[in-house]
Amino acid sequence: MQSATPASFPAGPMPATVLFVDDEQRILRSLRMLFATQFKVLMTTDPREALVMLKRETVHVLVSDQRMPIMQGVDLLRKARDLSPDTMRLLLTGYSDLEAIIDSINEGEVFRYINKPWNADELRSIVGEAAAIAVGLRTLAPAVPLRGETAQRRILLIDDAADVASGLRTMIEEGFSGAFALDWVTSLPDAMGILERNQPSMVISELSVGGDDMMPFLKLLKLHHPHIVTIVQTTFRDTGLLVELINQGQVHRFLPKPMRKAMMLRGIQSGMELAREIHLHPEVAARHRVDVPPRPADAGLVGRIRSLFRGGPASR
Amino acid sequence: MEHVAELSVNVEPLDPEVSIMEVGDLFLEPRYDGFLSLPVVRDGQPIGVISRYGVQKVLMGRYGRELQGAKPVVAFMNDAPLVVPLEHSVEQASRHITRNIRFPIVEDFIVTRDGEYHGVGSVIDLLRGLEDRLMARNDSLAQSLNRLQESQTQLVQSEKMASLGQMVAGLAHEINTPLGYVRNNVELAHSAFGQLREMQEVFDSLVMLLQSPQADDAALQQAFERAMAVRGQAAAGFAPEDMEALFTDTMYGLEQISDLVINLRNFSRLDRSAVVNVDINQCVESTLLIAHNLLKHKVEVIRDLGELPPVTCAPSQINQVLLNLVSNAAQAIEEHGRIRISTVCHGGFVHVLVKDDGKGIRAENLERIFDPFFTTKPVGEGTGLGLSISYKIVRDHGGHIRVKSKPGKGTAFCVSLPVTSGA
Repeated sequence: MQSATPASFPAGPMPATVLFVDDEQRILRSLRMLFATQFKVLMTTDPREALVMLKRETVHVLVSDQRMPIMQGVDLLRKARDLSPDTMRLLLTGYSDLEAIIDSINEGEVFRYINKPWNADELRSIVGEAAAIAVGLRTLAPAVPLRGETAQRRILLIDDAADVASGLRTMIEEGFSGAFALDWVTSLPDAMGILERNQPSMVISELSVGGDDMMPFLKLLKLHHPHIVTIVQTTFRDTGLLVELINQGQVHRFLPKPMRKAMMLRGIQSGMELAREIHLHPEVAARHRVDVPPRPADAGLVGRIRSLFRGGPASR
Repeated sequence: MEHVAELSVNVEPLDPEVSIMEVGDLFLEPRYDGFLSLPVVRDGQPIGVISRYGVQKVLMGRYGRELQGAKPVVAFMNDAPLVVPLEHSVEQASRHITRNIRFPIVEDFIVTRDGEYHGVGSVIDLLRGLEDRLMARNDSLAQSLNRLQESQTQLVQSEKMASLGQMVAGLAHEINTPLGYVRNNVELAHSAFGQLREMQEVFDSLVMLLQSPQADDAALQQAFERAMAVRGQAAAGFAPEDMEALFTDTMYGLEQISDLVINLRNFSRLDRSAVVNVDINQCVESTLLIAHNLLKHKVEVIRDLGELPPVTCAPSQINQVLLNLVSNAAQAIEEHGRIRISTVCHGGFVHVLVKDDGKGIRAENLERIFDPFFTTKPVGEGTGLGLSISYKIVRDHGGHIRVKSKPGKGTAFCVSLPVTSGA
C-alpha cells in the first residue's frame, strides 16, 4: 500500500481520502503529486488491494482506470458500490469501450467519466466536488422521515411507441402489483405538463421523442429536480452521448430496446429505492449532482425547457 | 428479340381441300417467294405443312400433274409439322426445333397462339435471334465483371481500413497513457517552477537589502519573514526528490510516445521504397510492436528467430500479413495463452511459423478459411477478408501459406517466401 500525507495540510477539518487505481505506476505518481497537498492520497496498481482498502478505511473518492489486467475498472466500481456505497466513484480512462461505459452506469453507478489525457484543473475540481459531497453525506445524522409514504409513486414514460408503453405498463402491473402508476406521454411539452401535475418519482425516456432531442431535457431535469431518478431506454449507442448522460445527466440506468424484462424490473426497483432514499434524506441527491452543461446545442429548445422548469415546482 | 412471337410471319394458310396443283401455282407467285412451305389449317387448327419440296416430288413424277394434280393437299402434306407457341422464348423454340427437325431443312415451323394457327417462322430468323441474344448476354456479363472487379478493389480497401482502424484505436489508447502523466507532470513542474521563481525574487531582494548599507532593521526583518514564508510554502508543496522522480517519469513517457510513433511509421513504411530486400525478422518485430496492445495482459509471445537471408518483397504488405496472423491468433486465445513465432531458412525459402494455443479451427472450416468473406465471427464483426487478402499477398510474392489446426489445442500458420535469388 502506498499513501502520502504531505508535510502540512492547511489547518482545518481532516482532509478527505482519495484512492487512485491504475495499472501504470507513473500515472499514480503523477496523480499523487496533483492531490497530495489537498487530500490524503491512497494508491495501488492492484484492484484487489483497492477493495481491501475500501473495507478497512473511509475512502471518500475512488478514481479508477478501466483497462487493467487483473480486473476491469467497471468491475472494481461495481464491487466498490456494494462494499462502500458512500464512496464517490470516478472512471478515468483512455479507452473508449461502449460496453464498459454502459456497465459503469448500470452496475457501477459512476459519478463522473473522465477521459485521458486529463486536464489538471478540471480533474482537481471534479475530485474536489466529489470529495465534498462524500464528506457531507458521511456527516449526515440519521434523519427522521419527512413524511409518510401514502402517495402511490408515479413513473413518467416519454416515448413515441405505443407498444413500448403497453409492454411497460403490463410489466409494471405484473412485477410490482400496482405499487407504481405509469403516465405515458409522446411529446416534450406533454412531459412538462405531467411533471408539474403528477410529480413523478421516476422518468423513463427515449432519446428522441416527437422529433425532439431529449438530451437537454434530461440534463436540465436532473439539475432542477434532482430527486427524480431517470432511466434512458433506447437502441442508440454512442460513447459521447453516454459520457454526457453520466456527467451531465447522472442517468440511473441505460437500458436497451427491445425491453429486457429482467433488466427493466431491476432498474425500476433500484431506481425507486434510490428515489425513496432521496425522499427520506434529500441531501442524498447530492451524490448524483450533475455538471452544468457548458453550452446548450439548441438554445431555442433549451430556453423553452428552462422557462417551463422555472415556472414549475421549486427544486429542492 | 426474346420471344417467338417477334419472328412470326402471318401468311394466309391453305385450306385442306386445295388441290396439290393449285399449291404448286401458289408457290410460283411472288408473294410466297420467301417461304419454304405453307401451313394447312382446318377450323383455325394447324394440321400440317406442305413444302415446295413436297410439291416438287408429286408434280415432277412421270405424269405427276395429270395423275395426282387434282388430289387435295392433305394427301401429301407433312401431318406432323414443327409447332411452336408464340410465347416461347427464342431459346426454348430453338431447343425444341433442334431436337425434332428433320434434314434437309425444307420446312418453316408453325407458330400457334393458344393452340390455334398464328403464323409461320423460319429457322434462319431463329438463328439470327439467338445470335443477338448471345451478344447481349456477353455485353451484360462484361459489365458485371467490371462491377465485380470494382467491388473487389473497394472491399480490399475497406478491409485494410478496418484493420487499420483497429490498430489505430489500439495505438491511440497506448499513447494516451504516457500522454496522461507527461501532461500532468509538465503542469505540476510549471507550477513548482512558479513557486521557485517567486522564492528566487524574494531571496534576491533580501540579499540586496543585506548588501545595502542603508537598510534598517525593520525592513530587514520584514524581508526575512517574507522569504521564510515563501520558502515554507514551497517546501509544503513539493520535495525536490519528488520533482526529480516526476521528470524521470516524464522523459520515460516521452520515449514511449516516440517509440509508438516510430513503430507506426516502420510498420506502414509509408516513407520508404515499396519493394526492397528485407530481413523478415524485422517485419516480425515491427508487427509485434504494433500488435502489443492486442497482446498485453493476455498473450505471452515467444520468439524463436533464426538467421535469415534477405527476401525481396513489399515489407508493408508482409507486415499486413503478419499482423493478420498475429491478431487472429490473439483472438483465438480466450483467457490467457501463448503465441510462438519462429523463423527459419530452408530449401530456398524463408519460413515464418505463427503458432497459438487457442481454440483451434474445426476440420470442416479449415479448407474454407482462405475463402473471401468466410468468417466464424458473429455478424458485424470482421470482414472475413483478412486471410484471403493475406493469401493473395503471399501468392503474389511467389510464396505459399499453409495451416494446421486442432480444435482445443491450437493452430499453426506457416508463411513461406522465396529467398532473393543470387543472395
